[in-house]
Amino acid sequence: MPATQVDSRLELLRQAPLDSWVALSDDETKIVAVGKTYDEAVRGSEQAGVADPLLLKTPKRWLPFSV
Amino acid sequence: MSIKLPFKKYPRPNGGFDQFAVVSINISLPGKNAPRSKRFEAIIDSGACRCTFHSGIGKAIGLEVDKGEVEETYGVSGEPTTVHLHDIHLYAPGGIIPIRAAFTEKLPVAAILGMDGFFNHFRVTFDPTAQRCELERIYQA
Repeated sequence: MPATQVDSRLELLRQAPLDSWVALSDDETKIVAVGKTYDEAVRGSEQAGVADPLLLKTPKRWLPFSV
Repeated sequence: MSIKLPFKKYPRPNGGFDQFAVVSINISLPGKNAPRSKRFEAIIDSGACRCTFHSGIGKAIGLEVDKGEVEETYGVSGEPTTVHLHDIHLYAPGGIIPIRAAFTEKLPVAAILGMDGFFNHFRVTFDPTAQRCELERIYQA
């Protein structure tokens, strides 16, 4: 993934709702759906015509992880 | 054969970011031809004893998450967290890996891939100079 695309992905994550599931387009350049649950995000991506999204979960706040 | 995965950036407060070794995976119930989850992003974490997934993904593939064997696990808070264990198939680079994995609602991310279930199937190299992680699958008899 080119550097500019990497940074645009970072910006997408900053803009994404917290404590949610986010479906990214196959090339990870767009948010195609969000939901409070995994299922909601999957349904949203299917409604958006994206059959193979990449799902992520956002935390309640963006903090350094020690999971 | 190995796969090279560029580190991915996750936001920090105040405009900063952290970089993680992550891989896109699917999971399914162990049965043959069981439907897979959608692809999701999992953090490669050698500090985790086993692979842990958010319950939402487990429910989506048909698990009755709360009926799995109960296990308690420590996080950095020092307080034990209850997770539920289930046998699943992990679709990772190189093919399917049958694993026993933990599921919990309390995970702040979709998944973490730990020692038992992931690191025992891959030679993992973190390369900070190239800002990437390299995975080489280990096939054991």
